[in-house]
Amino acid sequence: MTHHVMGVDGSYPLLLVLWLLPLAGAILAWAFGPQLKTAAGWICSALVGISFICAVAMWGPGTQSVSGALGAHQALFSWLPGFDFGLLMDPLSLLWTLIITGVGFLIHLYSIGYMDGDRAFARFFAYMNFFVFAMLTLVLSDNFVGLLVGWGLVGLASYFLIGFWFFKPSAVAAARKAFVINVAGDVGIMFAIFMIVASVHSTAFGDAFAFAGSYNSGWLLAICVCLFIGAAAKSAQIPLHTWLPDAMEGPTPVSALIHAATMVTAGVYLVARCAPLWSQNHDAQMLVGTIGALTAIAGAILGCAQWDIKRILAYSTMSQIGYMIMGVGVGAYEGGVAHFFTHAFFKAQLFLGSGLIIHALNNEQDVRRMGGLMKKMPFAFIAMLTGVIAISGIPFLGAGFFSKDLVIQGALEHGHPYLYAVGIITAGITAYYMCRLLFVTFFGSYRGDVDPSELGIRHPELAGTPAHGADQAEAEHEGSGHGQAHHAPAWIMNVPVAILIVPTVLIGWLMFGGDNSPWAHFFAQQFPHPQLSPAPIGEGVTGLITFGAVLVGIAVAWWRYATASAQSRAVERLRGESIRMPGILTHAYYFDLALDLLFVRTSQLFGTIFGRFFDPQIIDGAVRESAFSAQWLGTLVRSFQTGLLRAYALLLVVGVAAFMIYYAVIAGGVHP
Amino acid sequence: MTINVTNADWNAVAPIIIVAITGLLVLLLDLLSPKNISRYAAILLGAAGMIVAGVVASLAYWSPAYVAFGGAFIQSGFGIVFQLIILIAGIGSLILVRPPVQNERIAGATALMLWGTCGAMLMAGAGNLMVVFLGLELLSLALYCLCGLADRPSSRESALKYLILSSTASGFMLYGMALLFGASGSVAFADLANPALASSALLWVGGGLFLVGIAFKLSLVPFHAWSPDVYEGAPLPVTAFMSVATKAGTLAVFARFMYAALPAGTADRLLLPIWIVAAISMIAGNVGMLAQHDLKRLIAYSGIAQVGYILTALAGGTHLGLRYAIYYLAAYTFMNLGAFAIATTMSGDREEGSHLANYRGYGRRNPVGAALMTFFLLAMAGLPPTAGFLGKILILSSSVGAGYAWLGVVLIIGTAISLYAYAKVVRAMYQRDEHVHAFEGHAPAPLAWASAAICFVVIIVMTFYPYTPSNVLPIVK
Repeated sequence: MTHHVMGVDGSYPLLLVLWLLPLAGAILAWAFGPQLKTAAGWICSALVGISFICAVAMWGPGTQSVSGALGAHQALFSWLPGFDFGLLMDPLSLLWTLIITGVGFLIHLYSIGYMDGDRAFARFFAYMNFFVFAMLTLVLSDNFVGLLVGWGLVGLASYFLIGFWFFKPSAVAAARKAFVINVAGDVGIMFAIFMIVASVHSTAFGDAFAFAGSYNSGWLLAICVCLFIGAAAKSAQIPLHTWLPDAMEGPTPVSALIHAATMVTAGVYLVARCAPLWSQNHDAQMLVGTIGALTAIAGAILGCAQWDIKRILAYSTMSQIGYMIMGVGVGAYEGGVAHFFTHAFFKAQLFLGSGLIIHALNNEQDVRRMGGLMKKMPFAFIAMLTGVIAISGIPFLGAGFFSKDLVIQGALEHGHPYLYAVGIITAGITAYYMCRLLFVTFFGSYRGDVDPSELGIRHPELAGTPAHGADQAEAEHEGSGHGQAHHAPAWIMNVPVAILIVPTVLIGWLMFGGDNSPWAHFFAQQFPHPQLSPAPIGEGVTGLITFGAVLVGIAVAWWRYATASAQSRAVERLRGESIRMPGILTHAYYFDLALDLLFVRTSQLFGTIFGRFFDPQIIDGAVRESAFSAQWLGTLVRSFQTGLLRAYALLLVVGVAAFMIYYAVIAGGVHP
Repeated sequence: MTINVTNADWNAVAPIIIVAITGLLVLLLDLLSPKNISRYAAILLGAAGMIVAGVVASLAYWSPAYVAFGGAFIQSGFGIVFQLIILIAGIGSLILVRPPVQNERIAGATALMLWGTCGAMLMAGAGNLMVVFLGLELLSLALYCLCGLADRPSSRESALKYLILSSTASGFMLYGMALLFGASGSVAFADLANPALASSALLWVGGGLFLVGIAFKLSLVPFHAWSPDVYEGAPLPVTAFMSVATKAGTLAVFARFMYAALPAGTADRLLLPIWIVAAISMIAGNVGMLAQHDLKRLIAYSGIAQVGYILTALAGGTHLGLRYAIYYLAAYTFMNLGAFAIATTMSGDREEGSHLANYRGYGRRNPVGAALMTFFLLAMAGLPPTAGFLGKILILSSSVGAGYAWLGVVLIIGTAISLYAYAKVVRAMYQRDEHVHAFEGHAPAPLAWASAAICFVVIIVMTFYPYTPSNVLPIVK
């Protein structure tokens, strides 16, 4: 079998450097943390920054195209035939690398301020750098096994970082939940690898894709479904999404980097990377597109029912990734990937902006206890405002508009009018809950000094909001300063946010211009481009319809939270809304309960039943004793518990009889 | 018919003779020493004998195959690889011998284990049916005694059960051999591969009974019922030995029979029942694991399924499949020995390490031991980065290539089920459980720790440098 490699083979030292630098940082910060103290933060940030510069320098090789081979391929080492390892940088992985290192660098900088004074400051940066290394392994690997290794390692890094404040039981529980669900996803990918190897005797992307057309369609569907189980677990798609809101127990920079900008989009990367497989199987596309759309709208609806600022953002992340998955699922790869790209900026921006607020308010995360922060924190307001504009998709003013439009229009172009409609409705809901977040937090007057029960916060300790359980965390985390809105964030936290504002507002223009946009050129050779019949509704009209939905969302939010009368009665209103919130929303559709019943309980039952069926030993001892023992071999063995010896012998003889019937039949056939 | 026995013939069986004589030496020393021979002396002498035998055996690996004793024994790459695996199993289990095997029985235990190893090694090199039976019975007789070594009812029960059921199966096998002899007029494997025999009813019926014996020794469902009970009752090192050496020896016999001794055109139909029971075993073995509370029973069921995986590699009869089967068997050897070694470190007189309940909270009591145990269990489950994962990938690729994709599919399903069972143990180790009282401490087990460490390193090395021996096609003449 010929060996297919993607990318132009060669030696690319920069690629190795940008891949390994964060690993070096992780080892440094881990080994010499106590000596380095705050220097660890600077060193780790600098290494990620250098990685970013290397990634930019790899632009040329990464986008080169020589006789069908796209990008740069660096062989690392050979294993068995078909199991070679190497790094591949083509436009798709280049894009992810730029985001991981670029946005990663800014978030590292921000963390120097945010984690200042934490006892495990160096360890935090060791984990963060380790995460960057793992994520780069994931996106730069040229084969499925390397991808799976990176996939597992990012899960591990995420586990460490969610549970970073391990003295909070809720953080430990959240970390464990995230890990378990993600391991389930890893197993899905493992089975996909089994099946791919069984078909093409290789784990290299090139080989797997070169024969994409020759797979049996049921087999291919099974491969795609297994891959998607991994993607759904990592990218918080229904029904494997329940870990993401809990993951907000981690420090806010972690939420920004791992649970918004990069790791959770690994599923989008996987589907986009395996575009040649998905493009061959319409059922797989349908499945992924539908799950994506469902997640988008379900996440958006849940976003309307949350009070914890980070949980609102978590559900919005889930919803936005739903868009991306829908995009890459239906075959609109450029659109799905574009939404990843813009989302990385504006969601990092929103998280870092909310981090400014949380940090200033001493770890308060409940928006009901905020309010009126516009004057006190104008910079945070601008940061959040630009983020909200971008995520809501207000035309031309934010990056999200352009990419979301590509996804929604893509769904229609690829023949999925229902998903198209869901996309538009979700856009309206998104605008509503994001404006709700903005208005409740920044408009009106400050409510931090109002008694929580008056705001409808019934069981602060049971509400699941880390803010109220975080006293201990705060004591560990911050050594100095108390009181409301007191310590202005250090410049080190503001600078990354200020830098992020630029792409949040502007980067979407890259996608403007249809087939002639820089975006379309960048990916011209990356993805399959089937011939499509023109969509019944043009792109401009779609933009207008979406904008209409967005306007409705904003108007409702304005009417409920921002009008003069709403603001004057804010406390009663929030209380009323908290009390009347339907249980199905506050419990997130009871998914956790359902998963518990479905998997934990039934698997216990299953184990018991089948165990008894296959293993007679487990049957109650009394039955066994009375039925079988003592008669066998008389007094010699009376003291022994001979158990089911007769039953075993019987089974043996039945087996022999079955064998013999078969051979007797054959022997009868062959006899001359 | 006369057989000229030359020096070369004796050289071919030299490794086996070395192991057998070591067993005698241990008994002799025990007799001569004023008290009993000390545990370390017996174990180290036995292990040294097996290491020497391994070195002697591997010296001949690259030399051309040699048919000794007129075809009764064959010295070739194939047999030597299996003999090495069996020797590793012997060494790895022998060094785990501790209480509850009392000191006055240590010499006997060591000698029996060495002679059991001899039996399995004979099976690996057997060139005719008589030697197969000789090796099998030598191994089994040693095991009957070894199973009853511990002074407790369950151990005696284990020995008795094994004796009765195994003798029954041996009876079937012997009857099959007799019929095969009737078909070919010879006990040699070489004479079975005669195309004229394909139309002989005796070959089919005899072959079928022979395969029943094989299936019993491999504990394939429905011939598996003995293994959980016998494993559970036997002392830990004996279970470790049984779980590897018996299977390795029997697989060698089966592979030789299947690759070299079948008349052309009969393999597909003759072996079909084996593939079917292998498929059933992959499912039933893994399902059976779900409800276990005892490590040895768990490993018994796991072994039922693992043999199914190895047979999946053999199905189709390709050279590559055989190499992958040997690779997986080697990986299986090390993960089993490693798991048993960790269990031994936890065990005192009452073999606490074999009760899964005692693993609750082990992760906090002994992080290194728990990490190693996790690693071995994940290797059995076939998760990356372990040799178990690679082995399964290799098996899948060869089974599909050989036209047995359906076995590959069953393997994937079986693996999916098994993940849950292994994960249950791992989860228990890392569970926070305040109610578990750590059981009493016991004597340190440096040899078991060393064994676990070596198994870990070997599995890692096997993962990244997967050497699959190429010089292994079995021959019969």
